[in-house]
Amino acid sequence: MIELLMTVFSATFFVTVIRTTTPLLFATLGGLISDLSGALNVALEGMMLISALTAVIVSVYAPWYVAVLSGICAGAMLGAIMAFFHLRMKADIILVGFAVNILATGGTVFALSQATGGDKGTSINLQSKAVPAVNLSFLDAIPLIGPTLRSLLSGHSILSWLALFMVFAVWYFLYRTPYGLWLRGVGEYPAAPEAAGINVTKVRAWSLVASGAFAGIGGAQLAMFNYIGFTRDMTAGRGFIALGAVLLGARHPVGAMLAALLFGIFEALAVVMPNLFNWIPGEMIQTIPFVVTVLALILFSYRAQRARQMRTLTKI
Amino acid sequence: MAPLLEAISIGKTYPGGTVANDGVNLTIAAGEVHAVVGENGAGKSTLMKILFGIEQPDRGELRLDGKPVSFPTPRDAIDNGIGMVFQHFSLVPSFSVYENVVLGSEPRNGIKFDRQKAIEEVRALSEKFRLAVDPLPPVGQLPVGQQQRVEILKALYRNARILILDEPTAVLAPQEVEELFVAVRALVAQGRTVIFIAHKLPEVLAISDRITVMRAGKTVGSVNAKEVTEQSLATMMVGREIALRVDRAKGRGDLACEVKALKLTAESGAPIAEDLNLKVHQGEILGLVGVEGNGQAELLEAIAGLRAIADGVVYLNGDKLNPLSTLERRERGLASIPEDRIARGLATGATIAENLVATRLADKRYVRNGLLDLKAIKAQALKLIERYSIRAGGPGYPVGTLSGGNMQKVVVARELSEQPKLLLVNQPTRGVDLGATQFIWKSLTEARDGGAAVLLSSADLSELLALSDRLVVFYRGKIVAAFVNSDDLTAETLGTYMLGLSRQDPETMRAAFQ
Repeated sequence: MIELLMTVFSATFFVTVIRTTTPLLFATLGGLISDLSGALNVALEGMMLISALTAVIVSVYAPWYVAVLSGICAGAMLGAIMAFFHLRMKADIILVGFAVNILATGGTVFALSQATGGDKGTSINLQSKAVPAVNLSFLDAIPLIGPTLRSLLSGHSILSWLALFMVFAVWYFLYRTPYGLWLRGVGEYPAAPEAAGINVTKVRAWSLVASGAFAGIGGAQLAMFNYIGFTRDMTAGRGFIALGAVLLGARHPVGAMLAALLFGIFEALAVVMPNLFNWIPGEMIQTIPFVVTVLALILFSYRAQRARQMRTLTKI
Repeated sequence: MAPLLEAISIGKTYPGGTVANDGVNLTIAAGEVHAVVGENGAGKSTLMKILFGIEQPDRGELRLDGKPVSFPTPRDAIDNGIGMVFQHFSLVPSFSVYENVVLGSEPRNGIKFDRQKAIEEVRALSEKFRLAVDPLPPVGQLPVGQQQRVEILKALYRNARILILDEPTAVLAPQEVEELFVAVRALVAQGRTVIFIAHKLPEVLAISDRITVMRAGKTVGSVNAKEVTEQSLATMMVGREIALRVDRAKGRGDLACEVKALKLTAESGAPIAEDLNLKVHQGEILGLVGVEGNGQAELLEAIAGLRAIADGVVYLNGDKLNPLSTLERRERGLASIPEDRIARGLATGATIAENLVATRLADKRYVRNGLLDLKAIKAQALKLIERYSIRAGGPGYPVGTLSGGNMQKVVVARELSEQPKLLLVNQPTRGVDLGATQFIWKSLTEARDGGAAVLLSSADLSELLALSDRLVVFYRGKIVAAFVNSDDLTAETLGTYMLGLSRQDPETMRAAFQ
């Protein structure tokens, strides 16, 4: 137990948490944008998976940033495809989303075996690249807290810093620009923006594209930093956890970040615990993030219900 | 000088073959309040949708300031200075008032939404046009009357010269109607033009300068408001003289329903009504008078079995109703026409025939061995459609495709197709046109003459005065007055009791209860 606490309060664990949180946070922001526009994106999982593979394969032939961009594009394109089927062809968005997920599970394995020449499990024999980590060793020069600061802040993926910035950017977009107002209006009561001459379909389509782009960058981080290379089904439900994080974060960017961080912590625990407790089956430990997701959502909806009751009581 | 807005021989046929507008002419002069009246289904709404660019006319043309124009989308109408306030508001509930007003045309500062400027502009507008609203609170927390002002502000923010109000008074309380009229007059005084869609004639006469009457997709004519009376307008609308009076009951029978010391509470435990005592006899209509929310609706729900009774007893023909389920109560001859026909009276996605037998699924005539007898159900539907003159394509059409008046007729047909012993009626003619109102009133009096005891609640005092034999007034969950209806009884008298300004002494009340 003491060993566990020692691990948890170490700088390495913090770095692990940031690493596990980053892909989740991107996916959560993507889920948040589409959810606020009134289109629940259940395809985050599949989008991440396809983007991860795209980024890995492109990184074999191109610099890392081109690979990340290609991951983003893959996600955005999937978002556009969803928008086309949902908004133009009037298909149910949940069904379209699941179609993307199923396509992703099968399609990535097929594409992987094509790219690797027969390997259906991993991209281990591809020379894929990684997203560089940001080295802040100059922080050492600060007296007293310098070394601690360096061990906490140095060595994160450049995309982790981008994620943090994106939380702010998404918040600014949603609450400080007219377009954010449109997006939230479209999600809550589409008749209102429609009557005001706003093209509701267009807003939803763009938010699905943005949602896909966020999921895509999350997938790139997963396969180019958290792991180097692609493994089949490597997203392992992160896209669905992200959907939960959207709700748990009260549909607000900062809340989304906190929720993603919570799930990131438990995922990090699932990473470090097998070394400490070898008598617990590893599979059991790996279920922790999912169990926590379910528990957190139950707690959240219970509290929301209580809050509603309190409100109606005070009204009377 | 050319009129501000003209619609010339507009024709519109919907894909289903419904001819909504057929050679409609409308001429609006600048600075007037122009009412467009007509029954539901007369084509008013279609005409307004054409003026606002939601629908495209098949024939005819629109002229603005004498020049031909066309509006392919609402945006084009808005850009040409036309604004419309729909019956169902288009406001985002969680957004603040000012956010709703500026949505779609926000003041900007770079890419930033300039909130300060938006708030100031909304404040200035609401002062200029005497539409007092605080710009900051979320719209969802405002009463309906204020939400409507936000809608009007929205149109004005977009520089609407012509404002179309689609049945604006349907959702308002009487005081709110008065406030709306003050605002409308302020608008006109500042050079704006208002088109006012309505079918409540007293209001139309009170607010408008000119009136265009529509009937069955055609314009019947335009008149100056000063030169017509309610009766002559009604005749124009319906195309025949209509008698808005009904015959009183000839005499009443035995005691049918009795409510004794009834107490009702809300889920939170707060009292809704206390110590209610009522008697209704066969063959009489008892009117429940009161401002909405004073316990009348809840009393009807409790008798129907849709709401728990906290204390007290309800008897029907001597039997206690309290322990019985809604279905058992119906089997004993209870029928109910609920307040909200769409939410509680009908299944809008189901067909007319299905809705008409929905309360009789235990009846051997329509259900045999657990299977629906579709032939019998269809025959019954055809019979009722004929008898209640429901205007519909046929028994197989979804109820949701009918107009409000015809939907209500379906409810009435289902509840009255078999003579009830106790009939509960709440807002029977809300949002229903004159012709259907007349028909529904007649159906209710026929049920009464057939021996039903009727409890009638309505927000429309003239309806209560026209139909009821006796009336009781509710105020804050208590009965504060009782009257035997007579020609001397006026809405004003009832009003003083409804607002709690006066209260009858127990002796007078008991006398009226006899």
